[in-house]
Amino acid sequence: MAEDLVLDTAIRDWVLIPLSVVMVLIGILRYFVSKLMRSSPTPDAKMVKEGQVVIRARNLKAGANFIPPKSFRARRFYFSNEENGLLHVPKDQAQNPQAQMFSDPNMAMDMMKKNLSMIIPQTLTFAWVNFFFSGFVAAKIPFPLTQRFRSMLQNGIDLSTVDVSYVSSRSWYFLNLFGLRGLFSLILGDENAIDDTQRMMQMGGFGFDASKSLSAEKDGLDIIQHEWALPRFEHRAESVLKKLVR
Amino acid sequence: MGSSEKRSKDIMSDIPTFSAENLQNNLKVIQNSRTFLSIIAGVLAGIIGFNGLTGFVFYFVVMLITSVGLMAKAGFSADLYFDSWNRVLFDGFLGGLMSFVLFWTFAYDLVHIF
Repeated sequence: MAEDLVLDTAIRDWVLIPLSVVMVLIGILRYFVSKLMRSSPTPDAKMVKEGQVVIRARNLKAGANFIPPKSFRARRFYFSNEENGLLHVPKDQAQNPQAQMFSDPNMAMDMMKKNLSMIIPQTLTFAWVNFFFSGFVAAKIPFPLTQRFRSMLQNGIDLSTVDVSYVSSRSWYFLNLFGLRGLFSLILGDENAIDDTQRMMQMGGFGFDASKSLSAEKDGLDIIQHEWALPRFEHRAESVLKKLVR
Repeated sequence: MGSSEKRSKDIMSDIPTFSAENLQNNLKVIQNSRTFLSIIAGVLAGIIGFNGLTGFVFYFVVMLITSVGLMAKAGFSADLYFDSWNRVLFDGFLGGLMSFVLFWTFAYDLVHIF
């Protein structure tokens, strides 16, 4: 346990470097494939309308303090009155999001494509690594770790006497999988990392339960405390001007 | 003068007056520079051959330098560009650590182990 293992340089040339390079290349390939497969969804008019209303209500909430009280009240009434306000959703119209998803097969298809383009390359790479490089000690991490990490780092070699900081090739694959995310966000632009989360957000905001987000916005508008900022800005202008004069 | 200055600051902190898009962009810049520097730092640490704790100390030092550099870039007035100082100091810290460890290991193995 104490003495160091001597690793063959051939392992470096034929396992460590190729594995890392392949991981990077596959990541890039996956990015472009998913870009090709991505179909721009044709939005439903009602959905877009609801989304825009939510955005407008949000803007009003953000800029509430910059308009006079009377205008604010008028706008709030426009958005949230009980008869025909834009944010008011009649009870019977509220649609079950689950049913909505089933009625729109495109969405499910899109999600499946997305997932497939994630899973297939990963399984293939994993199978490839398993087939060619199983049982190698491929690398050594330069810091000591406790025994607990053995199953994480030495996946695929069953030797309990090897120091934990030696990494098997299969585990090196996993390390690459997680650690290269930063590199990808640098070389491929942020679309790569953000895309998933943005997609989720879009679903939550627009498609999935629009009625819920509408009523949430309505509540938000209703409880807002309006306080006009302009009178107080005179003080600020005064101090700025004084500074200029001086 | 002092009091009115203070009051104007109160007003500014009362009402959030920033553009969300620009803020997002600034955060992205921070994230990118941190990732970039953590990769560079990892390769450097591997080539120099840092071991164990020294490597992590090296990472912290690099991240500190990055923070100082970002602050200098923001003209030491982060309020103008970010909603809080913590953004400049801590954003992207843990995300960079993973890349750092990977590249540190990679370079260390290439140079020293074999």
